[in-house]
Amino acid sequence: MDPKLLRSQIEQIDTLPTIPGILRKLLAVIENPKISLTEIGNFISNDPVLTSRVLKMVNSPIYGFPGRISSVQQALILLGLNVVRGLLLGVSVFEVMQKSMVGLWEHSLGCAVTARIIAKKKNIPEPEEISVSALLHDIGKVVLILRFKEEYERVIKEAELKDILIMEAEKEVFGITHAESGAWVAKKWNFPLSLVEVIEYHHKPSLSKTVTIQSAIVHLADILTRSVGFGFAGDNYVPAVNPTAWELLDLSDAELREIIDEMDHTLQEAGDFLLGDESG
Amino acid sequence: MQRIPISELKAGMVVAKAITNESGMVLLSEGTTLTDSLIVRLGRMDLSHIAIQGASSSDKSRAELLSELDHRFEKTGKERYMDVIKGVLKARIEEVFQ
Repeated sequence: MDPKLLRSQIEQIDTLPTIPGILRKLLAVIENPKISLTEIGNFISNDPVLTSRVLKMVNSPIYGFPGRISSVQQALILLGLNVVRGLLLGVSVFEVMQKSMVGLWEHSLGCAVTARIIAKKKNIPEPEEISVSALLHDIGKVVLILRFKEEYERVIKEAELKDILIMEAEKEVFGITHAESGAWVAKKWNFPLSLVEVIEYHHKPSLSKTVTIQSAIVHLADILTRSVGFGFAGDNYVPAVNPTAWELLDLSDAELREIIDEMDHTLQEAGDFLLGDESG
Repeated sequence: MQRIPISELKAGMVVAKAITNESGMVLLSEGTTLTDSLIVRLGRMDLSHIAIQGASSSDKSRAELLSELDHRFEKTGKERYMDVIKGVLKARIEEVFQ
């Protein structure tokens, strides 16, 4: 497919009739670059499903503020507009993920948990921002699924039949991978450049110019989440770690072990939340 | 060590981490073997999970876990630094079954 045409078709997914209502409403709000904190706060508060999902997420072990955040306004103050916008997008694509690739939601949450743990271990400021980038790193898969459902089903089948990585199958069918399509929409939806770059380079973190360390963290979080066999991202294989990113993070065996132990512990505690149960 | 939900505890499991009450008093020390009556009492406390020695969240055998690990690393296990990641994961599996 012609990448230019592909890009413009993907950038227009918010006009698709098949797009979930919750996501369409959200995109209308987040695409407006002039939106204020109060406006976005009111928008979320008026939607009980969104409110409950975002509060559940920030109060789950995934973000480590257990039980402390009781309102959307408080979440906005504590976490900032960009993190909340990212969380909103994450919880709004939950159904698409559940329906089209069972395990992708778990994979995304696993990466969010792991990225926060690595960022804290490395004393990187604003671990929540890195965690949200990790939550959204595979958003490109969701937009490809939304826009090109049949073609993406072929990608999934091909990855399985040919026993290749999902990104290799994407390249064969689309000529691009979910890293590109994700970066296109993140830019279109006015997400900060740091988030766009992390999404774009989560397979090749050493190409990231402004957020090299953050990209390296999300890259490793992706690999570790697949390494422990948590969730499903389209194939059952662990992609190779980028040596430059690995050296940049410079983790000892003991640190790596601590990270994996904490991942395991946090993901088990988050178990109820991970099931995506909407009752609570 | 694995954290097991209270509802899934079985007699014979061994506590991996001391269970304390709010004031820090140890109620069950590390290494205690659970009995049915202890499990009933734990059920009355405000706990969701407890740490159990050697348990695995799945009932998979050591061989199964190791072969799944090998499969996941099949394509890239020989790439640079991948042996480090795989090594740490392998050591964790071995520890659980010790």
